[in-house]
Amino acid sequence: MSLSLLIKSLLQRKVITALLLVQLTLTLALLSNSVLLSQQAYQLSNQPTGLQLDTTLAIELKPTDDNLLAHPALGELIGRQLTALRQIPGVRAAAFSNQTPLIFGGMNGNVYIEGKEDTTNIDMVPYNFAEAELFDTLQMTLLHGRWLTGEDKNSGNVVLTEKLATKLFGQSQLALGQLTSAGTVVGVVADMMYQRFASDQYYAVFFNSDLGRADYGYRLLLQVDKAAVSAVRDQVSGVLRDVEPEIDIRNIVSLHQLHRDVFEQERGLAILLSVLSALMLLVAMISAYSHALFHGVQQQNEIGIKRALGASKSRILLEVFSESWLTTSLGAVLGLMVSYLLQQQLAQVISLPPLSFWLPVSAALLLLLCVTVATWYPAAIATRVSPATATKAL
Amino acid sequence: MDNMLHSLALAYRNIKRAPLPYLLTVLILSLGLGMFFSNATLYYWLNHDPLPQKSQTLFYPQINTTMQPCDSCNEPLRVLSYLDVAKLSRSDIPSAQAAMFQSAGYARLPAKANQTPMPVSLRVTQRDFFTLFNVPFLHGERWVDDSARRELILSKATAERLFGRSTVVGETLQLGNELFSIIAVLDDWTMLPRLYDVANGLGASASADIYLPWETAYDLGIKSNTTTMSRDSRNYNENFAVNGREGDFYQAQFWVQLDTPAQVDAYKTFMQQLVQSEKEAGRHPRPEANRLTNILDITEHFNARNRQLDAFALVSLLFLLVCLFNASHLALNRYLASQYEFGLRRALGASRAQLQQLVLADVMVSSALAFALSLLVASGAMALISTLLPATRSLTQWSPQMLLAMLATAFAASYLVTLYPALRASFGSLNRQLK
Repeated sequence: MSLSLLIKSLLQRKVITALLLVQLTLTLALLSNSVLLSQQAYQLSNQPTGLQLDTTLAIELKPTDDNLLAHPALGELIGRQLTALRQIPGVRAAAFSNQTPLIFGGMNGNVYIEGKEDTTNIDMVPYNFAEAELFDTLQMTLLHGRWLTGEDKNSGNVVLTEKLATKLFGQSQLALGQLTSAGTVVGVVADMMYQRFASDQYYAVFFNSDLGRADYGYRLLLQVDKAAVSAVRDQVSGVLRDVEPEIDIRNIVSLHQLHRDVFEQERGLAILLSVLSALMLLVAMISAYSHALFHGVQQQNEIGIKRALGASKSRILLEVFSESWLTTSLGAVLGLMVSYLLQQQLAQVISLPPLSFWLPVSAALLLLLCVTVATWYPAAIATRVSPATATKAL
Repeated sequence: MDNMLHSLALAYRNIKRAPLPYLLTVLILSLGLGMFFSNATLYYWLNHDPLPQKSQTLFYPQINTTMQPCDSCNEPLRVLSYLDVAKLSRSDIPSAQAAMFQSAGYARLPAKANQTPMPVSLRVTQRDFFTLFNVPFLHGERWVDDSARRELILSKATAERLFGRSTVVGETLQLGNELFSIIAVLDDWTMLPRLYDVANGLGASASADIYLPWETAYDLGIKSNTTTMSRDSRNYNENFAVNGREGDFYQAQFWVQLDTPAQVDAYKTFMQQLVQSEKEAGRHPRPEANRLTNILDITEHFNARNRQLDAFALVSLLFLLVCLFNASHLALNRYLASQYEFGLRRALGASRAQLQQLVLADVMVSSALAFALSLLVASGAMALISTLLPATRSLTQWSPQMLLAMLATAFAASYLVTLYPALRASFGSLNRQLK
C-alpha cells in the first residue's frame, strides 16, 4: 500500500487520528523521561561506596539512664559493650563512632588550611570519632601516613579521606603534617561514602577523642564474617542488654540496608515511574488494538473487494500493520520533541540529567513493538475476510 | 424520572451489546483517574492549609545574628539561638509567640522504676504554642507562664500508653532521671502538614508525645534532636544551662501570631530597630537580613518541598491526559459504531435534547463504574507509594469532601471523553447516519 493512500486514509478520520497522535506523543515523552529517571536512580545507587556493605553492621543506641550519658561513665560503658561484642563468634572487628557512614546528619563542620580560611574553607564535612579499631571495622585502605592510635587520643591529630585531602592540598600526599582547622593531618585513607548531602559524599575527617556526651546517641560498628551476619545480628541485642540494661537499642542494620535507605527516594520514584510507564504501554496497546479492530470491522467491505481483486492475506496483514506503524511513527517524531520539552520541565523540579538521543529512539522502538503486538489479532481477523464479502457490498 | 430510568436501561443494554469496547474505555479512564487520585491525595495533604482560620496570621521571624563576621552572608540561619528568642520575645506586638524545638527522651512511671523506659518524642516549647496552633486540651490547662517548671503536657495517646487512661492530671512521670508532674492532657490532635516543623523535614511526621517547658529544657541540658548548630568554641556538652543560653548555639524555631497587616508592619519595624540596636552594640556583624515568613510560604522558604512527589504529580497529570485522549478515542469509535441507531432515533422524531439525555445516562453509568474502579486503582497506587516512599505514609486518608471531589472529577472526565462523540452522533448528517 502506498504512503499517500495511507495518509489519505488517516486524513479521512482526522479527529480519531489526531487523538491517537496526541496520545502516542505523550506516551513516548513520558516513557523516555521515566526511563531517564530510573536510569539516574540506578546510577546513583550504584556509585562506589568504599565500604563493605554486606558484612558491616551498624548499631544505633543511647543510654536511657542520664548518668550514663556523659564521659567518663559513657566511655566506660562503650568499652564494656565493645569487649562483649568482640566475643560473639563471627565478629572480626568492633568499634564505636558518633555516626554511621551513609546516614545524613550527625556532626558536621567546616575544614580549612590554617591561615587560609578565605581560600580553602569547605563547609559541611562529617567529623567522626575514631579509635584504632575503626580502621579494621570499616575495612579502610591507608593511602598515606598512618591511621590513628591510642596515643592520638585528644591530641588534635586527624586523618582525612583522599578526596578531602586532594581538595584542600591539591595532591593527597601533600596533606601529611599539614595543619588544618580540624587538626594536624597524620594520614589519608581511601574514599568512603560518608554523607550523601555533605559538601561531597566522600569527604570525612577522623579524630580520636573522648565522646563527651551522647545526647544524640552513638554507634557501634561491627565487621562480621559474611556467613555469620544474620547470626550476629540476632545476638547483638541480648549481648548489649547483658552488659547494661539501661540502653535503648534503636536500630541494628547492615550498611547494605542503610545504602538502600539513602537512595530510597530516587529508587521509589524510579519504580513508580516504571509502573506508570508499563501502564502507559498497556494503554497504548489497548488503544492500538481497539483502533485496528474497529477499523477492521468498518473496512470489511473494502477488504473483501481487495481480496476479490487478488490481494493476498499477507498483503492485507501488511496494510493493517502499515497504518499502525505510520501513526506510531508520526507520534514518535512528535514524541521525540515533546520528550525534550518534558525533560526541561522536570529538570526545573528535580535534578535530572540531559536526555540523550538514543533514549526516546529506543522508547519509540518499544512503543512500535507494543503497538505491533496489539494490532496482531485485529490484523489477523482482517485477513480472514472472505472475497465473498465483496459481493455483499455490491 | 421515568425517562431517565428508561435511558439508564438503554445504556445498560448498550453495554451488554458490546461489552468489550465499553469496558476498555472504562478501564483506561479508571487507570488515569486512579493514578491521578492517588497523587492528588498526597499532594493535597502535603499542600493544604492545616489552619485555614488563622494561617494568614502566623509568621516565622529570622534575624542574621551569627557573631562571625561575613559580609557576603545574606541569609539568616534557619534556626535561632536562645538569645535570638529572648530578644524577639521582648516585643508585645504579637498576640501569641512561642519558641520550640523537637527532642527525644525516655519516660517511665516512678512506681515502676525497673520497667524498660518508653522512648518518647518531645516538643520543647512555651505556653503560647497551644494558642498558636489551636491545640485542643482534654484535661487540665497549659503552663501558667513561660518560667522553668517541672510540669509536662501529654498527648492523649501517650497518657493512655503510659497509664492506660487519659485522666492523669496530677500524676508524676519520670523523664530521663527527672520527675515531672502532669498538668494537662491534649485531646486527639494532628496538624497535617506540620508546617511549624517543615524546616527539619518533619512536615508529615506525627505530633509530639510530650510537651516540655522551654526554660526547663535548657536547665536540664536537653537539646534538639534535629537541627543544631554551634558557631563559637564553647563546650556545649558542659553546663548547657549557661552555655546554651549565652552561646551561639542555634536550635530553636520561633513563631509569632500577627493578627492584622498593621501588626505585621509594626513587627517588621520592631525587627529592624532590634537589628539596628544590636549593630550599634557590636552584636550584629553580618548584613541585615531580616525575614518574616508566613506559615503558608514556609515550605517554599526552607526549600522543603518533596520534589519527587512534585515530579510524580506532573507525570501522573500527563498520564491522566493520555488516558482521557485514549478513552475519548475509544468512545468515538463506540459512538460511530452505533450512529445508525442514533440516526434511526432522530428519524423517528427524537429531539437532540432526548439524545443528549441518552448520552447523559451513558455518562452516569460509565462515571459510576470508572469512579469505583479508579478508587481501587488509587488505593493500590497509594499502597505502592507508601511502601516506596515511607515518608508519605500519613498522607493517604480520604475525607468525605475529597471523595465527593473525586466523584465530580470522574463524572467530568467521563462527560468530557463522551462530549465530542455524542455531539457528532447528535448533530451529524441524518442521511449519512441512516446509510
